Amino acid sequence: MNQFEYIFPKTKEEVLKILKQEKSKACIVAGCSNILPYIKDKIISEKLLLDISGIEELNYIKKSESEIFIGANTTISDLINSRIIREECNVLYQAAEEFADPTVRNRATIGGNLADASPAADTAPPLLILDAVLEAESMNKKREIPLKDFFVGPRKTVLHDDEMIINIKIKNNSINKNGTFIKLGLRQAMAISLATIALSLEMEKDKVTDVRIAMGSIAPIPLRLFNTEEFLKNKGINDGLIDKIMQKIREEVKPIGDVRASAEYRRYVSGILFRRAFNKLTNSPIIQLAN
Amino acid sequence: MEEYKIELIVNNEKISAITKAEESLLKFLRRNGFTEVKCGCEKGDCGTCTVIMNGKTIKSCITLAMQANGKEILTAKGLEKIEIGRRLQESFVKYGAVQCGFCTAGMLMAAKSYIDKDLEPDKTEIRKAISGNLCRCTGYKKIVEAIYDVAVKSHGLEGDTNV
Repeated sequence: MNQFEYIFPKTKEEVLKILKQEKSKACIVAGCSNILPYIKDKIISEKLLLDISGIEELNYIKKSESEIFIGANTTISDLINSRIIREECNVLYQAAEEFADPTVRNRATIGGNLADASPAADTAPPLLILDAVLEAESMNKKREIPLKDFFVGPRKTVLHDDEMIINIKIKNNSINKNGTFIKLGLRQAMAISLATIALSLEMEKDKVTDVRIAMGSIAPIPLRLFNTEEFLKNKGINDGLIDKIMQKIREEVKPIGDVRASAEYRRYVSGILFRRAFNKLTNSPIIQLAN
Repeated sequence: MEEYKIELIVNNEKISAITKAEESLLKFLRRNGFTEVKCGCEKGDCGTCTVIMNGKTIKSCITLAMQANGKEILTAKGLEKIEIGRRLQESFVKYGAVQCGFCTAGMLMAAKSYIDKDLEPDKTEIRKAISGNLCRCTGYKKIVEAIYDVAVKSHGLEGDTNV
């Protein structure tokens, strides 16, 4: 039996109460861009579809002195239309622009993209290099989860059955204004990423003082490449070094082969993506914005 | 089996009908006679099921019917009651933007949404606007030209074209 139920709560408190009662029977939905294919393919069944798309209090992009806050219900279109995201988290803006297609972006939410925990989630690599922290809440407690500790495996996160993502917090750190995002897919729109990279770089003359690298679709989870970052820090850039970093990246990724690409190809191309992102950043270190 | 009653407005007509928790808006609309909404891949890839819900394009195959409760939906058939919709339909015919026609119902909705934004007409932007809609016949060139022509003629015009 493929029996589903549906509920449309109006407040966060109601959602948390239902989650506490229903536990794993409840399946939080918002944009539904993944849920309906899951239902069709019988990946999920007998769930209570807990629709949070009507909860306006979780739809916001705000900025304080030191932090940027994104509500879990914020759609990808909202990210693109936000001046704060465009100016303060440009790397996330770039990823949002490559996310699925304009129609899907009208419904898909940032909370859903993260909670779905696909290795190919396009908002994850930029948020990883932005050191994003998730705020999760249940009836009993609130807790903060650094995004780097959030993903466990494909479709698996550290969230408990009675918890939901409320908020995504990003430290207002100027270095990340200079980030770049590159997506490799099989078509220009609506592509599930073959491999993605988010890279930010701070340099003094030719020496790297800070670097952050995160990649998607090259491991069971969206991955921050800490080993490669460590290797690159405080080094002077030359062609030989770039080759070594590409090698390091190919050692650090853990790709699988699937219908879209083989593991070998993904390993190879992850190095290439780094070189492309590096060139893109060093040719135009500060992204000039219109308006 | 749990059933739910929903009310929505489709092309200015009030609909009140029964649905199930997991039914897609696409299936619901087709079951209720709106067969102009086409069923393609049913997983959000092809865009032929695109409709406009409360002013925004959505893919009805990856939206729950329940989520359209209380909302306003515009389908390709509703376009003929709207000036800009008629212009788009005529332009698609004039430019040969319809071949097999299967993508057209969704393509027109994406086109309407682009025209509504009233941007400086730009073919690259049109290509982006219809990037979620697959067409296997035309190579997109004629579709882009058809939309561009309407965009040029309606850009910056005063008054409401939604009548």
